[in-house]
Amino acid sequence: MPATANSRFVEMHALTALEHMRFTTRHRIEGTYTGRHASRQLGGAGEFVDYRDYAPGEDLRRLDWKVLARTGKAYVRLFQDETNLLCTLAIDASGSMQFGADPTRSKLSKLEYAQYLASALSHVIHRGQDQVGVAILAEELLALIPPGGTASHATFIQDTIEKLETRPAVRMAGALRQVFEQTRQRGVLLLMSDFLVDDLDDVFAALRLFRHRKSEVIIIHLVDPDEERLPAGAAFRFVGMENEGVVHCSPDEIRELYRERFEAHAAMVRTLALSNGCDYRRVSTAIPYLQTLGGFLVERSG
Amino acid sequence: MFQNPWAILIGVVAAGLPVAVHFLTRPRPVRMPLSTLRFVHEAVLHRRTRHRLRDALVLTLRTLAVLLVACAVARPFLGQAGLSAVDEQADAVRVVVLDVSQSMGATNHGIESFERARPLAARHLEYRRGMKADLILAGARPVSVFTRASSNFSVLRDELSRAKLQPEKLAVQEALNLASEIIAREEASPVLRREVLIVSDFQRSNWGAADFSVLPSGTRIELESVAPAEPLPNLAILRVAAQGRAEIGRDLRLEVEVGNFSDSPQTVTVEVVLGEATAQLSGLCGANSKTVLTGDLALREAGWQTGEARLLGVSDALAADNVRACVFDVRPAPRLALVTREPATKRPSASYFIERAISPVEGTSGDVAADLSAATGDGLARLDPARLDRDVIGSVDLLIVVQPGRLPEDSINQLASVIRRGRGVLYVASDAADAANLRLIAGATTGMLKFPAEFAPPAAKQPRRNLFLVNVQQDQPPFQIFGDELPALLETLRFSGGLDSRRVEGALAEDILAQFNDQSVFLASATLEAGAFVVLNADLSASNLPMSPLYVPFVGELVQKLLGQGRRAGEIACGEPFALMLPPDAAAAAELSMAGPRAGEPVAGDLSDDGAGVLWKGDSAGGPGVYRVLLKGTPIYAVAATIPAAESDLRSVPAKVFEERLAGGREVRYRSLTRSGSEEHDTAWSWLAVACVICLLGELAALKSFNT
Repeated sequence: MPATANSRFVEMHALTALEHMRFTTRHRIEGTYTGRHASRQLGGAGEFVDYRDYAPGEDLRRLDWKVLARTGKAYVRLFQDETNLLCTLAIDASGSMQFGADPTRSKLSKLEYAQYLASALSHVIHRGQDQVGVAILAEELLALIPPGGTASHATFIQDTIEKLETRPAVRMAGALRQVFEQTRQRGVLLLMSDFLVDDLDDVFAALRLFRHRKSEVIIIHLVDPDEERLPAGAAFRFVGMENEGVVHCSPDEIRELYRERFEAHAAMVRTLALSNGCDYRRVSTAIPYLQTLGGFLVERSG
Repeated sequence: MFQNPWAILIGVVAAGLPVAVHFLTRPRPVRMPLSTLRFVHEAVLHRRTRHRLRDALVLTLRTLAVLLVACAVARPFLGQAGLSAVDEQADAVRVVVLDVSQSMGATNHGIESFERARPLAARHLEYRRGMKADLILAGARPVSVFTRASSNFSVLRDELSRAKLQPEKLAVQEALNLASEIIAREEASPVLRREVLIVSDFQRSNWGAADFSVLPSGTRIELESVAPAEPLPNLAILRVAAQGRAEIGRDLRLEVEVGNFSDSPQTVTVEVVLGEATAQLSGLCGANSKTVLTGDLALREAGWQTGEARLLGVSDALAADNVRACVFDVRPAPRLALVTREPATKRPSASYFIERAISPVEGTSGDVAADLSAATGDGLARLDPARLDRDVIGSVDLLIVVQPGRLPEDSINQLASVIRRGRGVLYVASDAADAANLRLIAGATTGMLKFPAEFAPPAAKQPRRNLFLVNVQQDQPPFQIFGDELPALLETLRFSGGLDSRRVEGALAEDILAQFNDQSVFLASATLEAGAFVVLNADLSASNLPMSPLYVPFVGELVQKLLGQGRRAGEIACGEPFALMLPPDAAAAAELSMAGPRAGEPVAGDLSDDGAGVLWKGDSAGGPGVYRVLLKGTPIYAVAATIPAAESDLRSVPAKVFEERLAGGREVRYRSLTRSGSEEHDTAWSWLAVACVICLLGELAALKSFNT
């Protein structure tokens, strides 16, 4: 448990209600320490799951002597190992994530939303005795903090998330590959992004690497309501947030076509995610992050 | 070239309005950072092509519609480069000819053609660098403002604004000649552009014989017509005259010629007021034709009777020609004298036949006989040619000379004097003495009395027998009254005797009124000053003429012709030069005064003593009305100044005629401001209007097809 929560994105009083919840995985994982998550290893402790023939040289402590006595056959008892969770929170720090901030309406940008969500998740994961790390993604990997379970680690992660700054970037696959190369554990990769990138196929190609490693990949697709539908008004001068230039137009003239394009993009992200064995969740920043987190944890807990 | 060029300026401004409105009403964009710009960009790219096409189409069509409306209002003349359209920088001399004749007073929709023409002419008198101009006001005597083209346009425009309509006929050729002179006065230069602009109604009666070849070659001629599309209907009194002499106590047979220049027949009523006498003449006047209305007017006072004829109940394009002044010299019954050697008792004889012919015609012949009896102391109304009394001769209006034998010199001189004094003489020639007498009479007038033929006794071996008449001038008195029956009447006539004749070279053919089949003259006339002399070459006792039904009216007409010759009241055309010999009553010019129709206005012309009397001569007759010459306050002569009948026919010469026939090798452009039709080339405005409507429909279709 972190000694102090310095990050403005960690609202302790709000997270108190979620402390009893645990972030669970749907796959067996590899952890560093014994935990409460099903390990990919079938060890000699934990919950019995099966028998198998004894092979010479195996640890005799796992031999089921009672069965040997009754039947004269040597069987080894298998138990499900439980281990702790290694979760890496990957946050998209591209310029497009800055969209949506509106102080007058207390509306969060996608990045702020991701910061709140990631900070809360890190808190929840840490409270569950699991290890959490963070990766900041742009054109390249900006920061990678491997999962850790100490309170100071969690605080460090939250500080890192708080100080996160965006950069104009339209590619993310490279950064993901860097994460893949710099990590070894088969944990959980939780990617929070708006997926407004030019190399969407490459991104999912990189995610496939994680899946090949048997890591669980969870995709949080952040969508701002003003992205889903263009704002009302006669004429706008839209300025790209990633040095894409300027477009003058009347939203009314392209509203429907834009919506079609955006939905097609979202559908493509979802299709790619699901087809690559990733867990996909589209999150609107209009929904409070605590509500989103609660629903996510409830769903994960099965 | 546009009729309303100002509309183009307005059009250009108006054409900018859609563009201005488009940009002014374009919403100001709100700046907004957007993460999904790629989708916006894709959508815009997809839509923009379509929307840009729509916007361009709508804006183009809308702007085009406005421009087309402006062009339609401006009324372009396609295919006709106007004078203003040519090189503006070149040196030019321009002569503007403005028609100020009476026909320009025709009103169409309440506006006179002249008032339509004035601004047109003014438009061509705007200052332009390198251009000199002159203005010709073209009436009966065209006058130019300057003798040479000038760049003082303000004076030209002032003169133009002061120009007034004149009750005159347009002297087309004089105007063109004057324009030619003005242009010719400019230094010949290959770069000098010569322009003649004529603003007129281009009446057929005036312009039909125009010859533009008098203008220097290379002159650009532009004709601007102010005549309406269809000729304006017009009724006019073209002539007021009397049949025969106006005599006191005897009804005057009036002839009023009315012209109906419209496409429908009209029933016309003309009121003639002459002194205190009034008459109304009515009749039907066919479409585009003239008709002569006749009626009687009882005159009770002698002397010069003035008045006017007026069309009643007529409201037409040209009101000025609905009234026409007239004047008649009402005289006492004529006095006739028969100069012959034949005794009154000789029957049949030529003198007997003449006497019998005159009596039924002249109802007052008894008075003549009585007067002559009193004068001569003879019971017969006959005068002995050997002893002609000067006083008696001076008191008669007409002398009829029949078988006088060889006239003494004194009688010859008296006869010549009678003719000079404006009296008439009818000479019935039949034998050799007559041929000699005629030569002597002509000689007594020092050759001024010129017969169209020389008379001579027939050759002894070629007796004149069974002659008949040919080459009869049917439309002239005395044959005019017989009309279509004349050929049948002449067929029966056979003549014997008379004189041979030889036509005098250079004599007027119209003075020979009839000929025999051997080409000798039967009837010839000659004039000397105010008098008239008619030779009837026939032996009446040796021909069947006296037995013909034609005879009495024939002689009567002859007598009327001769009686009307001396003091025939006449007309002069307004604006035209005139020269009138006053009757012998006018002794000396110094004793005479003149009076016009309007008190206080000077009377045109001067009176001067001529060798034979007093001559009233002027360069330009005044306005319509009666002008009188007074001797001690008493009128001794009067004449009516009238609007020329040609001005009443308002039909115009077609443009094609100008361009193809009258141009005389010059470049002529014809333009009409009010006329429609293929020949006028100004139908473009209607096509522009159609194009404008098409543009607007196209705009609607574009908006519809783009679902806007």
